[in-house]
Amino acid sequence: MPIEIPKDKWPGKIRTVTLGATAAEGGTRSKTVAIGGEASLPFMHFENPTPNPPLVAIEIKDRKPEDWSPLLAEVWSEAMNDPGAWAKAAEATGADLILLALSVTGADGKPNTPDAAVAATKAVLGATGLPLLVYGPGQVELDNELLVPVAEATRGERLVLGICEDKNYRTIVATAMANGHLVTARAPMDVNLSKQLNILISDMGMPADRILMDPTTGALGYGIEYGYSVMERLRLAALQGDAMTQGPMIVTPGFEAWKTKESKVGEGVPESWGDWKERAINWETVTAVALIETGATIVVLRHPESVKRVHRAIEELMAV
Amino acid sequence: MEHTVSFQIAETGKSATAKVPTGSLLVEALHEAGVEIGQPCGGQGRCGRCIVQVTEGNIRRRSALRLSVEDIADGYALACQSVIEGDLLVFVPPQEKIARRMTSDRVATEVKVPENYDFRWSQRIRRVNLSLNPPNMDDQTDDLARLQTALRTQANIGQTDCSLALLRRIGVILREAEWQVTAILDMASGDSDAPARLIDLRPGPTDEDTPLWAAAIDIGTTTVTFWLVDLVTGQVKMQIAEYNSQIARGEDVVSRIVYASKEGGGEEMQSRVVDTINSLAETACKRLKISAPEVIKAALVGNSTMIHLLLGVPAASIRLSPFITAVNHPPLITAREIGLRINPEATVDCLPGVASYVGADITAGVLSSGVDLSDNITLFLDVGTNGEMVLGNRDWLVTCACSAGPAFEGAGVVDGMRAMEGAIEEVWINGETFEPSYRVIGGGKPRGICGSGLISLLAEAFLTGVLDKAGNVNTSLKTRRVRESEHGGEYVVAWGAETEDGDDIVISRVDVDNLLRAKAAIYAGYTVLADQVGVSLADVHKMLIGGSFGKYINVEKAVQIGLLPDMPWERFEFLGNTAVRGAYYALLDWQARDRVAEIARRMTYIELSADNTFYDAFMSAMFLPHTDMSKFPTVEAALRKT
Repeated sequence: MPIEIPKDKWPGKIRTVTLGATAAEGGTRSKTVAIGGEASLPFMHFENPTPNPPLVAIEIKDRKPEDWSPLLAEVWSEAMNDPGAWAKAAEATGADLILLALSVTGADGKPNTPDAAVAATKAVLGATGLPLLVYGPGQVELDNELLVPVAEATRGERLVLGICEDKNYRTIVATAMANGHLVTARAPMDVNLSKQLNILISDMGMPADRILMDPTTGALGYGIEYGYSVMERLRLAALQGDAMTQGPMIVTPGFEAWKTKESKVGEGVPESWGDWKERAINWETVTAVALIETGATIVVLRHPESVKRVHRAIEELMAV
Repeated sequence: MEHTVSFQIAETGKSATAKVPTGSLLVEALHEAGVEIGQPCGGQGRCGRCIVQVTEGNIRRRSALRLSVEDIADGYALACQSVIEGDLLVFVPPQEKIARRMTSDRVATEVKVPENYDFRWSQRIRRVNLSLNPPNMDDQTDDLARLQTALRTQANIGQTDCSLALLRRIGVILREAEWQVTAILDMASGDSDAPARLIDLRPGPTDEDTPLWAAAIDIGTTTVTFWLVDLVTGQVKMQIAEYNSQIARGEDVVSRIVYASKEGGGEEMQSRVVDTINSLAETACKRLKISAPEVIKAALVGNSTMIHLLLGVPAASIRLSPFITAVNHPPLITAREIGLRINPEATVDCLPGVASYVGADITAGVLSSGVDLSDNITLFLDVGTNGEMVLGNRDWLVTCACSAGPAFEGAGVVDGMRAMEGAIEEVWINGETFEPSYRVIGGGKPRGICGSGLISLLAEAFLTGVLDKAGNVNTSLKTRRVRESEHGGEYVVAWGAETEDGDDIVISRVDVDNLLRAKAAIYAGYTVLADQVGVSLADVHKMLIGGSFGKYINVEKAVQIGLLPDMPWERFEFLGNTAVRGAYYALLDWQARDRVAEIARRMTYIELSADNTFYDAFMSAMFLPHTDMSKFPTVEAALRKT
């Protein structure tokens, strides 16, 4: 007897968003990438095809970060001293996107400057053809000070600028709108807050297909279940037709996983924890894959090996 | 060891001294010296209103919250957090003057005597004229038995109890009145076998139409309302109100409970509220030219905390999970037991409440608003520091309470104040210039903004784009009215040149947050209540709003900020103080009194903190007007127009 698999029909779908612009479109990228477009819960291919696979972005910095794990310093080695070289190395790992995170200070210890930020961004754009995301250092005034000139200097590239939060979104959104870029809207692990921030940004006139949602997450063992559940609820709300939750979701499992003790500490831990490097990569990979399974469209990672493993997992999930 | 603490009081220019043992707090010394100092936070060191300056000697600061380094260097200290360890000279700066007197010219509510009210049938109080046979050598019956016999034979009252205090007086009264007296009794229950209780014995017969006085009292956290009622006609003859003097020891119920839990705090709270009631009783009686002992019954309502504090019952458990009261339905007591200066034998009836945060003020509100008899689904909302709501009809009633915070009463907002003279009560903002205009209570210079003013300010600022939907001040607007401040962006409502004290009156991002929290809590409260019973707000036939809060707010503005649901305006009804009205009905009529008990029994209490539904509803209401705009179609339309 044939078994009929019940299928859900949803009134809504995830918005399709295109990142990057080729020369023909007014940018310099070698290709653009589309994300989103799903009309079912993640990977329910039998209900609706998944038009675009989830993507992996590599996070790089405009200068060598002092607080990153020695494991990361080891693997990226010299490339970390030059954002262009780092971007090239990142592209070589097979990453789909590059995320350039600007630092709070320059090498001289003084606050980062607009000129330096623009130079780093241009260096990355020159070194790789991948679409690019540029995030400020996460301090309201400095973010605005750095991102506006970056947005202006890269007009038409369809970069993703971030991070917009409910207390600081106007300046970033305004410059993204004026210069043809996209934005990331981050809200702290709450469906309503994600939705509210999307409304605020849309109210400024930003087209909805230029907004990525970052619902914030935690690493495995550090609150991932909260993030997971919020993302699940956002996806359900989107499928049910709530327009303000239909943006594709971007999360930063790399940032979260490399903060954990399990990834940071190589000595003085129980032997049963196993090999440090393997453990750290597993932590990042498992965190990322779990989030992909609840609907993440872009995962931002730090270790090249994690990129490979997550890509392999995506391939399997995409197989019909 | 004892220390001498001398105070110099700025306000009066006088000084005062106290001798207190080592380790005493400065507030205790102030109290000892008879110096009044406000402690709105209940002595928790949070509000900073009890700041004094120690000019000689040293104190130990348990907390220096709200004091800057310079303040401390100058000797400033929080009186409630400063431990005395030596002789001191202390300067008491001028206390923030809070006009404690209510304006007396407010129009009293018109109160109709319930139809069918008949003193003889509706009351459990009876007044009977008695003519006793004087004793003689052949009739050696004692005075009390003689009185009881007369009650039995002339008034058909089988048994009568009499208190010792009254017993001490009856012999004199009977003889002086030559055995012609009026007895006032409380029949207590409808049961004719139960003994009646003698409340008063007055010399001579009383004319049937002579008023018989009783009181309906609502003890609000902020305001105590007192109605003097003639039981014979049922008419309310005097309505007065006064701030609850407990305010000096805490603005909200939690601060009051904290204060009352301290050594001696419970007694102080009890005597403070009794003093307030007594002074109201005295004033009301004086105005009607009667004496307070002529008042022989009182019906009291208030939130559960107020009733506990009035009765001197420890209230600490109300504040702590799982939030249990000592008593929801207090037994009948006499005025003597709690020191009310009306007739000491007067029956004092504290009406029943439902739970820690749904008290007798709400059951009385349901009684007077008639939710429990309504054919259609009705939502009753009482907004004060706490928001309490009741949803239901003649078949069912559910209730919940949420802590809205005192933002709409002006607390937690830098330039907020109560609705009194000098308060901005309404604001309009020009959508192009962003210039405001406003109306001030009393017409003078503004001193701050009261609840209705804050609601209209919030609505106007939102509709004109001064605030975004999250409540951020849009500081990029081309106007001097918006600017950055240490509390985020702010909007200037009145420049210093226009104001009473010369400082700008502003609303800041932090103020807006507090207001959003208050309105979100209230909105979430009634939406969750409706959800829990599967009722849509659209099915709510009437929304009845009690409390003084409702009287002055503009429905349109309240809907625009998402405090009230977007429904046709004719469905809203503002009822004023429904609590005291309910107390009045219960005072008059034993059937109404039974109905309150029935209401309290019928109401299903929903504890909002039991799961996260309330939190979700709250977060989605933390937006102007709401995250789900489809719930506010008229606001959406108004926004499109601007």
